[in-house]
Amino acid sequence: MKLNIEGLLVYFPYDYIYPEQYSYMLELKRTLDAKGHGVLEMPSGTGKTISLLSLIVAYQREYPLEVTKLIYCSRTVPEIEKVVEELRKLMEFYSKETGEKNNILALALSSRKNLCVHPEVSSLRFGKEVDGKCHSLTASYIRAQRHSNPSLPSCRFYEEFDAMGKQVPLPAGVYNLDDLKDFGRRKGWCPYYLARYSILHANIIVYSYHYLLDPKIADLVSKELSKKSVVVFDEAHNIDNVCIDSMSVNITRRTLDRSQANVETLQNTILKIKETDAAKLKEEYRRLVEGLKEANVARETDIYMSNPVLPDEILQEAVPGSIRTAEHFVGFMKRFLEYLKARLRIHHVVQESAPQFLKDIFEKVCIDRKPLRFCAERLRSLLRTLEIADIADFSAITLISNFATLVSTYSKGFTIIIEPFEDRTPTIANPVLHFSCMDPSIAIKPVFERFQSVIITSGTLSPLDIYPRILDFRPVTVASFTMTLARTCLCPLVVGRGNDQVAMTSKFETREDFAVIRNYGNLLLEMSAIVPDGIVAFFTSYTYMENIVASWYEQGILENVQRNKLIFIETPDAAETSMALEKYQEACENGRGAILLSVARGKVSEGIDFVHHFGRAVIMFGVPYVYTQSRILKARLEYLRDQFQIRENDFLTFDAMRHAAQCVGRAIRGKTDYGLMIFADKRYARADKRGKLPRWIQEHLTDGSLNLTIDETVQLSKHFLRQMAQPFRQEDQLGLSLLTLEQLQSEDMLQKIAQIAHQA
Amino acid sequence: MTPEMDDQGCPRCKTTKYRNPSLKLMVNVCGHTLCESCVDMLFVRGSGNCVQCDTPLRKSNFRVQLFEDPAVDKEVEIRKKVLKIYNKRDFDFSNLREYNDYLERVEEIVYNLTNNLEVEGTKQIMEAYQRENRDIIQKNKAKLTREQEELEELLLLEQQGNEQRRLETLQEEQRQLQAKRKSKQALLDELERSHVPATILLAQHKDRAAQLETQIEKQKQVVKTTIFSTGIPMGQTVSLLTVNRLEEVLYHYQPIHMHTYGPPVPELEQLGRLGYLNHVRTAQPQDMAGGYNSGLACHRAIQDAFSGLFHPLG
Repeated sequence: MKLNIEGLLVYFPYDYIYPEQYSYMLELKRTLDAKGHGVLEMPSGTGKTISLLSLIVAYQREYPLEVTKLIYCSRTVPEIEKVVEELRKLMEFYSKETGEKNNILALALSSRKNLCVHPEVSSLRFGKEVDGKCHSLTASYIRAQRHSNPSLPSCRFYEEFDAMGKQVPLPAGVYNLDDLKDFGRRKGWCPYYLARYSILHANIIVYSYHYLLDPKIADLVSKELSKKSVVVFDEAHNIDNVCIDSMSVNITRRTLDRSQANVETLQNTILKIKETDAAKLKEEYRRLVEGLKEANVARETDIYMSNPVLPDEILQEAVPGSIRTAEHFVGFMKRFLEYLKARLRIHHVVQESAPQFLKDIFEKVCIDRKPLRFCAERLRSLLRTLEIADIADFSAITLISNFATLVSTYSKGFTIIIEPFEDRTPTIANPVLHFSCMDPSIAIKPVFERFQSVIITSGTLSPLDIYPRILDFRPVTVASFTMTLARTCLCPLVVGRGNDQVAMTSKFETREDFAVIRNYGNLLLEMSAIVPDGIVAFFTSYTYMENIVASWYEQGILENVQRNKLIFIETPDAAETSMALEKYQEACENGRGAILLSVARGKVSEGIDFVHHFGRAVIMFGVPYVYTQSRILKARLEYLRDQFQIRENDFLTFDAMRHAAQCVGRAIRGKTDYGLMIFADKRYARADKRGKLPRWIQEHLTDGSLNLTIDETVQLSKHFLRQMAQPFRQEDQLGLSLLTLEQLQSEDMLQKIAQIAHQA
Repeated sequence: MTPEMDDQGCPRCKTTKYRNPSLKLMVNVCGHTLCESCVDMLFVRGSGNCVQCDTPLRKSNFRVQLFEDPAVDKEVEIRKKVLKIYNKRDFDFSNLREYNDYLERVEEIVYNLTNNLEVEGTKQIMEAYQRENRDIIQKNKAKLTREQEELEELLLLEQQGNEQRRLETLQEEQRQLQAKRKSKQALLDELERSHVPATILLAQHKDRAAQLETQIEKQKQVVKTTIFSTGIPMGQTVSLLTVNRLEEVLYHYQPIHMHTYGPPVPELEQLGRLGYLNHVRTAQPQDMAGGYNSGLACHRAIQDAFSGLFHPLG
């Protein structure tokens, strides 16, 4: 259908539309009009992606000078593929309606591992290996060597692309990863480099967060994207953690040992090259003296390791004299490594700030701040000069040099924590140096500054005001949309007590309490008897789950549960978990019914959907707080308090609740779906917890569903399930939660829609 | 100690960290290791030769080995010594290039001394340098580099911040404790004296306590301002160093050259001579006071008249 969104003609590829989609598009358009950033929360399963795409594409067509590009960031490859499919549907609709051929180019970009078509390279298992092998075939100096020695191996796809591919732009259309590969195979061009080259003139790019947020990658992939782009972060409820991870470095004894080996290799290579080809080192030296930047226009294949964000004025400066020659630099790295080793040889935990670290390093091994800052840059130059082909081996030293650059560049927002052993195994020495970023705004700041509009959206972003605070930006629109429903298909219940009136909680003090564990078991048992098909249960941590399941086994609860349903358990091992998932789904399919015991913050809780009969009930055992004794977390909380005035408890609750919401949100993936959401902890009934749930869940959480006993829960659930089991047709939805164009245009509907958006 | 350190041992008596956990390894200027007991035994007289390289050594120069690689210990030792002499700072040089060259020379010296390359020659260079730059070395002894100064400043700020925060939380706790004690005392007093039934008093007290709680909560939430009204964040490092003087090219005035498409206009000075001024009202004394003279108006009028006369049409 064709919609009129405040004067903008939007093509929407479906015959029906949800009211909240319309409202969402309204808000989105206002954000784009204002050229500002937005935070939008809309429940999953209500068609966020297609609303985003159709509005932004329409906007692009209407005002091609205002918005030139859409950058759509998602988390995983399957999610990226999903977005591209939606986009394809939209484009087909466009060409059908307008009758003309589309000239929009849209493509997905992923790592070499997912895009390589070279028969040998693509068969490698790990992404790092693929990168390394690819590099050893296509680096500019390798190719230069091939001129003199044609017997060296090459990648014919890259050669073809380099020779032909750059003159003709990729024809307009929608390309997912497989399309790119097909196209590459057909033409004999490397799909990866083709995609990377094409994003410069593509209208729509779909790729992972890291291409924008991780400074080490963003610099090479996304450097030349224009300011007039709209950036969308989908499923962005964890964006702060992604930002933090991209700037943090963990150094173990193993890293140091491997770096030591790297340094020795470097030293030997330098010696060798000095004998055979001293001119090359001289050339590099001359360049460093002059402070020249390398012209990397023609060398796209070389830049495998970019600088962690350095201020521009430093990048313009010449490399300091003390690390200018190769030998001196190697000596410098040696000293740095020895210093780090000495620091790791400790018996108690040390926490210090970056300035303290810098002062100490100067006193101990006379290393100044300035050469440290240039460490990453200098190493990159050296690796290139030495023409080291397989860079995968040098990841350890690269990490160390990144750490050096970061620690000397940022005096605020980071902390250094050295732990001699893990908390759980205090007798085994396993020293780790955590250089941890505490301020997510450092990584994301360039994105907000560079692009005209940045949209942060997800199903669970509540409380909405906290994201602008921790990411340090000023949004122009902040809105939460609820799900309009023809029938209440979600049923959140807070179970606070067992039948024996003992409070149910995963609070630390009562964790080992026999009564609590038994009550949890009874809850699961009762639910397994009344809920059809699949039940997903989430625990707060792996250890907690292990403890509880073990005592359930002793009490015979598991045996009773197994009479009703099969039980599957998530483990930290990815292969095991996917096996369990597969079997779980099989059990749900054939009607046997199953229970999946999993962990909040685990793989299952993020990104795996339990549609329809795969998840008829989600039980959240306890409040999934993070492990609060972790020093990194403590440091971060302190930082949040001092810099952003966010209290520890607020942040912890916010974090726990967003994970709880993620978990229970797994069951409802659309309007025809239905499911129970059982919060099994009395603390959920408190206003501070409840208030932090997304609005679309809060709406249905009445006083009558708080602090229930197990019996009451069973009664309410039975009632709900019986109601939901009645046949539900599309006609029932029409006019209420699903609209045709005529219905949408009626006066009172427009009024209703205006109320859906809840401005924070 | 980590297991990696365990296999380190004294090269002479072959004791290792594993066998003797209290083993202390020492290193001297030559960069070779000995354990503490061997040092005590071999250097009873205060001096002797290195077991491995035969360098004459003093016992007082033995130090505890800090790093796994004794060569690094040696290098750091040498470096500290060299840096005492080569202590020029970046502001002693006119440009960055020279400073970098200087840094490289220093590095070269350290490298040579550590790897025993041209030791004699290098030492001579060092001595010569020391003689030549005695004044600067003396002067710079107490000075820190700019970067170090910044670091010191940051550290100071950090310390102050921590101290302040600690005090604040302490005060806050004290205040809350007192408030609670007070209200409790008040309740007891009232129960003693008043004639109102105890249940009502208790209810009142509960109410007050709740109020106090919320008040405390609110106080906690009061947001501390972190920015001055000028927009400068509080506690920002204001560097007290002199700003570098910018060397810029001075502005040179170039007279405007206009193309008039007409016959050349007579210069201002020539107007009187050529008789143009005869046809203009002479300036009155009042006009002259303001800087006006009849030449100016006349000159402009002639410019207007002449310009564009030869302009090609079409």
